[in-house]
Amino acid sequence: MDGDQVGASIRIQGLSKVFTEGNRSVNALADFSLEVRNGEFICLLGPSGCGKTTVLRIVAGLESKSAGSVVVKGREVVSAGSNRGMVFQEFALFPWRTVRRNIEFGLDMSQVPLQKRQEISSKLIDLVGLRGFEDAHPRQLSGGMRQRVGIARALANDPAVLLMDEPFGSLDAQTRNLMQRELLRIWEATKKTILFVTHSVDEAVFLADRIVIMTARPGKVREIIDVGLPRPRDRTSREFISVRGKVLLELDEEFEKARAKEMAQRAPARAASAQ
Amino acid sequence: MNAWFNGLDKAFIKALRRNWFNLLLSGISFGAFLTIWWLVSAWFHGDWPFGFRDWVDTAEYIPYPWVVIQAFLDSFSHRDPFSELYMGDHIYASMKRITLGFALAFVAAVPLGLLMGRSRKSEAIANPEVELFRPIPPLAWVPIFTIALGFIWGPIVMVFMGIFFPLLFSVRLGAKSVDPLLIDAARTLGANKIQIFTKVVLPSTVPYLMTGVKVGLGIGWMCIVAAEMLGAVGGGVGWYIWGTAQVGRYDLMYAGMATIGLLSILTTGVAGLLEQRLFKWMGTK
Repeated sequence: MDGDQVGASIRIQGLSKVFTEGNRSVNALADFSLEVRNGEFICLLGPSGCGKTTVLRIVAGLESKSAGSVVVKGREVVSAGSNRGMVFQEFALFPWRTVRRNIEFGLDMSQVPLQKRQEISSKLIDLVGLRGFEDAHPRQLSGGMRQRVGIARALANDPAVLLMDEPFGSLDAQTRNLMQRELLRIWEATKKTILFVTHSVDEAVFLADRIVIMTARPGKVREIIDVGLPRPRDRTSREFISVRGKVLLELDEEFEKARAKEMAQRAPARAASAQ
Repeated sequence: MNAWFNGLDKAFIKALRRNWFNLLLSGISFGAFLTIWWLVSAWFHGDWPFGFRDWVDTAEYIPYPWVVIQAFLDSFSHRDPFSELYMGDHIYASMKRITLGFALAFVAAVPLGLLMGRSRKSEAIANPEVELFRPIPPLAWVPIFTIALGFIWGPIVMVFMGIFFPLLFSVRLGAKSVDPLLIDAARTLGANKIQIFTKVVLPSTVPYLMTGVKVGLGIGWMCIVAAEMLGAVGGGVGWYIWGTAQVGRYDLMYAGMATIGLLSILTTGVAGLLEQRLFKWMGTK
């Protein structure tokens, strides 16, 4: 359909990112490669500071890359664009716009005519379950509802992929579980490709088709785990717990490595201060 | 009594009930102020049991509260003793100056503040001049502005100088404080640079802008006495204060000062109302 025979939605090859601050430079990503199929739900998991969010921001076009290539739907990513929707942990809603007007933001940018715009936003309001709250402002909504707006807003431009940066990280446990189920429903309805960053193993196993476990900094792919459990998934089932255990084991190893590295880095400083 | 009036009545009583204690505090505070004024004045007049009789000569410097209130009320119906104008004329002239000075400052400070807040380069270009001129008190400009620009434009430019900097700094701070996440969000939604500016930066700056407007208006009124010090075509409250002091009518002078206070409360109140409307319309408060 889009000239991509293998059906790859996102193809990341040899992606590197070096952050320089003054004369110090940090290797955030080194040789990160990943291929995401059309309509696939991928979770990026790794110890904190491993560059999960950096991968997402580079795919979104919000951050430049130091080396490598990122191709979305057959086109190299050079800047931010409306074929990749992004959902933020802190929601990032426009406080002066109502729910409907927040969702319509992307359509405003491309000057979609009023009638078409309202048609799309009404559909999305129904999809994310915000009927009745169209004219509310973000500050009047709960965290879960705000993120519903965030998801609908990202979907308004009908992007090929949805990039989600710990979208439920600031929600309480109950709301989080509800939003995970809601997201799966929306995903099944829209058939979008989703790249989802999280640090919750439970969340990754519940949501993903495949879980990409990243190494400690500089981040690259350590292992890709096929979850392979039918949906809806039961968190208490033996299979779920077994996959969860496997992922945790991998992650713990990386966490230990990251910790050892940090200790080694701090050691000279500690020795100096002890004198 | 119709329903609309009834509703208004209820809303008023409700507001009164909610705020009665604070209103009471404000009332007590103002009453205390008047009392202290009266006592000090009585002392200067030698009417106070512990007052010094020799100070009777200076009694006119601090007239009794009711004398000033009477002078204030009379100033609207009686021509002043030095320029033969009514208080209404002076208020009109000063209001015109504040409005024009404010409009000029707004037109200049808002775009410059936005530019300086969003672009490091333009900030580097504008900073030396801004930092050089900012600490100069508006009063320092009085002689040269009056000579060079005359009695019509001189005072207006003085007011402009007073309002320009606080407004500039508020708007710049606002433009700098835009949540970078909102800009990221706008970019992923397909906004270009111009759209980010008009749809994200501008609305984010509004609360800061309104603070700048309120502060600026207050400073504008502070400048009006200096602005009209040497003379002003068509009168002016600042000039009224200078004139009445020169002919020794201190009761009128205080009435002029009270007028500035009241006018400042009025303009700040209007700006506050506008701010509330704006926030309500934007849904941010």
